[in-house]
Amino acid sequence: MVGLPARGKSFISQKIRRYLSWLSVPTESFTQSSFRKKRAESLKFMDDELFDPLNEKGKKLRLLSHQDCMGAILNWFSNHQSGVAIYDGANITRDIRKKIKETLSSSDVQTLFLESYCDDESKVRANIQDINQTSPDYMDKTVEYTLADLKKKIRFYDSFYEPMNVEYEGDCTFIKVLNLSSEILINRIESYLQSRIVYYVMNLHVKPRYIWLSRHGESQYNLEGKIGGDADLSERGWKYARRLKDMAEKYIPNHGSLHVWTSTLTRTQQTASFLPYPKKTWKALDELDAGSCDGLTYEEIAERFPEDFKARDDNKFEYRYPGGESYRDVITRLEPIIMELENQENVLVITHQAVLRCIYAYFMNVHQEESPWMSIPLHTLIRLEIRAYDTLVTRIKADIPAVSTYKEKGTSKLGETRDNSKILAGDVISTGKS
Amino acid sequence: MSSDIAEIEEPKISGNYSARTQHRWIPAKEAAEGEAATEASGDGSMAGGSPQKDVDEIHHRISKFHVSPAQMYSTESGRMFHAGAICIVMVGLPARGKTNLSIGLCRYLRWLGVRANLFHFGDYRREQTKQVNSDLYNLKPADEDASGVREKLREVVMGDMINFFKNEGGQVAIFDGVNGLSKERVSLADQMKQQNVRTIFIESQIDDAKLLKSNINDATSSPDYENWDQKTAVEDYAKRIEEVSKFYEPMSEKTFTWIRTQNFGRTMLINQLKHDFLTTKIIFYLINVKIKSGSVYFARCSNNKLRFKSDPALDEKGHSYISKLYNALLSHFKEKGNKQGFPQDLEVWTSTRLRTIQAAEVFREAGLMVKPRPDMTQLNPGAAEGLSEEELKQKYPTDYKQHQLDPYHHRYPRAESYHDLALKLEPLILEAGRVNNDVLIIADETVIRVFYGYLMASSSTDISSMRFPQNEIIEITYNAYANQAHRITIPGVLSD
Repeated sequence: MVGLPARGKSFISQKIRRYLSWLSVPTESFTQSSFRKKRAESLKFMDDELFDPLNEKGKKLRLLSHQDCMGAILNWFSNHQSGVAIYDGANITRDIRKKIKETLSSSDVQTLFLESYCDDESKVRANIQDINQTSPDYMDKTVEYTLADLKKKIRFYDSFYEPMNVEYEGDCTFIKVLNLSSEILINRIESYLQSRIVYYVMNLHVKPRYIWLSRHGESQYNLEGKIGGDADLSERGWKYARRLKDMAEKYIPNHGSLHVWTSTLTRTQQTASFLPYPKKTWKALDELDAGSCDGLTYEEIAERFPEDFKARDDNKFEYRYPGGESYRDVITRLEPIIMELENQENVLVITHQAVLRCIYAYFMNVHQEESPWMSIPLHTLIRLEIRAYDTLVTRIKADIPAVSTYKEKGTSKLGETRDNSKILAGDVISTGKS
Repeated sequence: MSSDIAEIEEPKISGNYSARTQHRWIPAKEAAEGEAATEASGDGSMAGGSPQKDVDEIHHRISKFHVSPAQMYSTESGRMFHAGAICIVMVGLPARGKTNLSIGLCRYLRWLGVRANLFHFGDYRREQTKQVNSDLYNLKPADEDASGVREKLREVVMGDMINFFKNEGGQVAIFDGVNGLSKERVSLADQMKQQNVRTIFIESQIDDAKLLKSNINDATSSPDYENWDQKTAVEDYAKRIEEVSKFYEPMSEKTFTWIRTQNFGRTMLINQLKHDFLTTKIIFYLINVKIKSGSVYFARCSNNKLRFKSDPALDEKGHSYISKLYNALLSHFKEKGNKQGFPQDLEVWTSTRLRTIQAAEVFREAGLMVKPRPDMTQLNPGAAEGLSEEELKQKYPTDYKQHQLDPYHHRYPRAESYHDLALKLEPLILEAGRVNNDVLIIADETVIRVFYGYLMASSSTDISSMRFPQNEIIEITYNAYANQAHRITIPGVLSD
């Protein structure tokens, strides 16, 4: 990463890490400031001195922490045959970039520089406020303190900042995002994986925002314990659909500009039918296709396809129903949805259990072995708060009873899990019975 | 919870009464019939659709029923990703590879399932005016007649594009022309906006002298210069470039979304990036594209009657096959004028199966770079492995029927479909287009079919039945206008 403080570098680093991991590419992010903090602690060093341009000790400390970070990156590569390591730091001089590139290329690692350049004061200020709320470094500080502190750091770094350009660094592979991606400069992309990263970064925007998720209301098939199909909502499902309208008004702050996405299946469209907002129907949001098991109960599957039933429990992420799909297949077809979600400000996605597990895994960085086992309850509005350093989850329960569609490993019976690791993280809001 | 249980209703009708009625794809049979009907009506298609004639289908108008190799699903409207309709307008002086870029982009978008068509200004011009008049290339011709012709041609292209959006379910129209005046661009974007179509400009600039020279040479093989000698054609073309440059205005419109690619993607600048899936996918393609002049060669490995999971060494028959393949390719390169035989930078790609790695050994010994690619493993036939048509019919009657209807997407139990294979191979296909040198791919027939399907813009309905027999090497040459396939017979090997 390249850029002054408060340019969203950490945000972009974390996003790339999450996205590539979701696609099963080994990825790790290394934050230079954490190495600096460790060094500073052992040397009993104050931040003030560190950002004093005349302080020789500060210069040395910065160099040491850079070396620590590079060492950790090289060590990571020695344990991974392929993958992506992200150096999350300022790297603002041509000299340091040249050194990084040389060191890495002597270890047969390609270097892609990603510069976030921003001279729009209002955007920088907005970003500083976000850092104040979410960064572990500033969470317990006042906005004024954060603002003053970051401004000091920015001023310090700005005194020797050399932005990237084609004239001086035409030989480097780099992508430069100007003013949070309204303009982008791309230079010498040399491999497919690099182009994938560039492609992803183009889809990012740094604004903190909410994404709203919900399963469809309880369906006739849910009542019967059947999977797949294209059934209508049950009576309680309809009740949820009506309640969802009130919940949207009450809990979605700017619901006037809300957009609703559903799948092409009846149950999601019925669930959205009372919502007075613009709607889009996505084929890509359709439930995982259970192929020949579509319309069966788990008991029937266990009976008729015993081998398949077991194979699925053994590796639920890769398992593909005969004539149907696997979770991996769903992730592949969700690509346009994920990119569009990154671009949207205010969306409520009404879709299905397996699809929601995949979307949830993307935003919450859930490992692929665990994500197919997450419990996503019916009749619950899920709020994801996308922030620079993490995503927060809140569940807003409609308090309308519904059957459980959760199936534990090794059984064909349905019932809610008691394993806390499989329950969605975060707070729960209960809307109370009406 | 007891009160909840009381609320559970009895199911209304028993049985599988509300199964999914919508499918991910238009049933292939319907698609094939639809496409055949479109072709029979002579609707813009230039040649018969048989893939075995080795025709690059990129210039065929795309039918409403077309299902592309990497398409994720079909929609009722025929449009994908809620991206709406987009007009891509190429901008640039002659010899900037605009045609090359627009065709490559069209190929990639169609592969993804986007209904895209090409509109080459040059084709319209040739249709209207037989003789080449240099005044026609002047963007602000002094002669009123020439000026009128230009205006009229632009109107015709515009009309065709709008018709494509309105009546043919088109999603992306690619307008390949100079589009060198800001005034023209503004008016075009305005007209498109009235039709609810977004416009994205792609400007190609080249300042690398070598690249420019090779582009000019390419351009003189265009239909404009049929029966010209090379030298006069180059001179004439240089004059044309000069003529156009007089009034050419590079993209600088602040409010438009435009992408400037310099020296074919080496450096790219994007203005007013619209954050949506399709726009970023277009840029993704432009990052990956290179001017590709070489060829890709495909050859089979000797024995594909093996079980999917078995991985034996190359047997004697295989060794003899490989040496024949080696010699056939060697003499092909010699005939092409390479005195030393293989070009030194020829890359050989194989799967990671032992037999293909061993097959490539002889090329490694000849000093060539050999790259085993894990993703190039053949299609996994799953439970259908080793079964004859009759046995399949008996053992899996339902699957067999479905397979006949849609052999591209259907999977036998635990098998992969061609569609799966296509998604897996996309990075390699793009990479083969990125490397500057020739590539020899030694692979199973299933893998060759998918590669071929991309490079020749085939419909998914044709791919699974294409034939690439063992006694042939298939050479596909990248060309600015249409890729060319050519089959080289390996002497002394029988077809299988």
